[in-house]
Amino acid sequence: MAHGRKAETPAKGKARPVIPAAMLPLEGITEVQAGDGIYLQRNDAMFTGMKHSQGEFSDFFLALRDEGKLFGHRCPECRHLIVPPFMRRCPACNFVEMKKEYVRDTGFMAASPVITVFAPSRFKGQEPFGTGRVFLEAEDGKLSDTAMLVRVRTTTGTIRPGIYKKATPVKIAFCDSRRGEMLDIFAVPQSELTPKQLARSPLLESEIEWGKLSEMEFGKPTLQLQKTLREVKAHFGKLAKLIAKSPRATANLANWRRTVAVRTGGGTFSLVFGQGKLGVRDGGVQGAQLVVAIRDPAILLAWLRECVSPGGDGSKSPALTDLVIEGTLVLDRPELETITRLDRVPRSLRRDNVVRPPVASAQK
Amino acid sequence: MRDVAILGAGMTPCRSRWVEKTFWELAQMAVSEAVHDAGIHIQEVEAGVAGIYNDIFEFQAIPESGFQGIIGLQNKPLMRVTNGGATGAYSMLAAYNMIASGQYELMVVLGVEKALDAYDFEAESNTPAVVQTIGYSWDPWFERPLGAHASESYAEVIQAYMDEHPGDLAPLARARIVELLCQQAQNNPYAQRRGEKVTADQVLHSRYVVYPVRVLETCVYTEGACALIFASPRMARKIKERTGREPIWLTGVGAANEPYFVGNDITRYKVLHRIYSDYLATKTALEMARIGIQDVQVIELHDAFIPQMMITLAEMGVVPLGRANDLVEKGIILPGGKLLVNPSGGLVFGGHFVGGSNMMSTWSAMREMRARNFEHGLIHGTGASLSMYGVAMVLERRA
Repeated sequence: MAHGRKAETPAKGKARPVIPAAMLPLEGITEVQAGDGIYLQRNDAMFTGMKHSQGEFSDFFLALRDEGKLFGHRCPECRHLIVPPFMRRCPACNFVEMKKEYVRDTGFMAASPVITVFAPSRFKGQEPFGTGRVFLEAEDGKLSDTAMLVRVRTTTGTIRPGIYKKATPVKIAFCDSRRGEMLDIFAVPQSELTPKQLARSPLLESEIEWGKLSEMEFGKPTLQLQKTLREVKAHFGKLAKLIAKSPRATANLANWRRTVAVRTGGGTFSLVFGQGKLGVRDGGVQGAQLVVAIRDPAILLAWLRECVSPGGDGSKSPALTDLVIEGTLVLDRPELETITRLDRVPRSLRRDNVVRPPVASAQK
Repeated sequence: MRDVAILGAGMTPCRSRWVEKTFWELAQMAVSEAVHDAGIHIQEVEAGVAGIYNDIFEFQAIPESGFQGIIGLQNKPLMRVTNGGATGAYSMLAAYNMIASGQYELMVVLGVEKALDAYDFEAESNTPAVVQTIGYSWDPWFERPLGAHASESYAEVIQAYMDEHPGDLAPLARARIVELLCQQAQNNPYAQRRGEKVTADQVLHSRYVVYPVRVLETCVYTEGACALIFASPRMARKIKERTGREPIWLTGVGAANEPYFVGNDITRYKVLHRIYSDYLATKTALEMARIGIQDVQVIELHDAFIPQMMITLAEMGVVPLGRANDLVEKGIILPGGKLLVNPSGGLVFGGHFVGGSNMMSTWSAMREMRARNFEHGLIHGTGASLSMYGVAMVLERRA
């Protein structure tokens, strides 16, 4: 049980501010021009600090943190097993006391997970992330009666459709550094783990090989793919020049430094972001901060053509973020920021008239 | 239970942001419109119900307290209702029960919401802050810390339904519904997106918000208000004598909330691929009104997301579960089809001011029933995590 510790112990690990400084508004009242006049708006925040009690759930989170184990509650009468243990008495049996029962760290997806692209404020920078529900196995091999929501991850780059489906067997892995919260654990498809990893319990994040883009081995590039890649690089070069002429596009890339290796079926090149500019390099770069992989460079070329061509309205070629979410463009780590910044560039180029907007829009 | 009459309705225009209006002003505008539409004086009203979804959007705890003198209910009872996305429908249900019980004869039911004052100073954008504010609706122990939010939650239901019924909720069927709602919204003078033209092709090429849902398939964030005047049959007759207008009648109500946690036993847990609350609420409302779904000519339903709207129509019995594509492919809801759905443009095009959008649905259904001589309409509200809240109400026009 969690009781017994009356004194408050300090939080484990390096403390970060709950609310990042950049999210805190500065005092001020600004004017807004609306239809018939000027209106005022005051910078403010609905602010309440919290020492949010975890109450009866503390045992569950302590087990995650300190034991690397999961448990649920089982009703002694109807035998239902609920995970997580979100209540202590079974209402179906007139509130009979439920019993704590450890469960295995393996189970099955209740449904295909969903993938968040645009996250709430407090989760910015974590996209794309997948969430799904898992029925965990009891020690007798039977499944829990409820499914627990968890983050779902893959060892093969960022999360995308098709990695998980309904009934996909999964293993719950544990972060090496745990604080006693749901983000201490996540699911991984059992098919991506070795027998040795599957046998480990708890399986730690550091014991898994991440960022494998093994399914993106493209083989020897064909002449056509190499030709397309040359066009892609030329178009990125053109895009870089256009960005330099556009204040909005420059602002899209401001305060962002990244070296990105782009692997395609036609070969590899690199993009360098820094000081609001975009640079294009042949081949890969040592220590790239992000690796993106796409089998067919023609898909990138279609996006680029629509970016830099007069009259392109950006509505025909999928956004780069969509290519990531659909799994066409695979990232080696969950960091969508570079892609979303690039995705904003075409609209900025048109708004700054660096690229001529489509005729219909121009006439508005 | 007695039938309850709806004598009038008042709407503000729906806007993404009303920087010119506070929620006090929006509330007063709607109530003022409603009492004039009903042909009554506000002093005749005995009590009220105020639907406000979220204190944070209003930037005030107990936000309804300021209404008391503003909407003319000083020294009279005003009850605030908040039930997630279904706040508007639950507010109407509360007012219905207060009249049907015999306690009151004449009431105002009001729904109002701000939203876009919420602002993310880091992203320099409203949207992440609005999404975060709605995200505070999830439990703070198990799900919210994982980044659960409205789109993610509804997408879970949609994805699970698609797992169960592969091929249903087809992208083209969804896109054609969006196109249809866009066209229908052009006839709604208060619609937030009046004047927009969205084609099915644009929907199919729009970005994902949460896979598998695209941005043009989602409802909008809206600020606005709607008020309705409810009356007992005796009061309705009395007021009809001076206005000469026949009210619209509420003849059936139903509500059900599914459990928060997911499991396989539908009697005890939320079954992910169903919106069972919609099934139960609709069944109850139709049985109470002694009609079947085939007797309904117009449905104004809560389309938070287009694929969810298709599932809801299947749960209501318009088509079988797994056959929601038929709504489009068999022309059921297309122009000339047997059922008019969301003539207001729904929450996707009309607007979704959460506390009152189900009242906007009621305003719209009443308008269509009068204009097209429909006998029966159905109002629907859903909300909360995984679309777990459901309310349905049957409207009847008597010649």
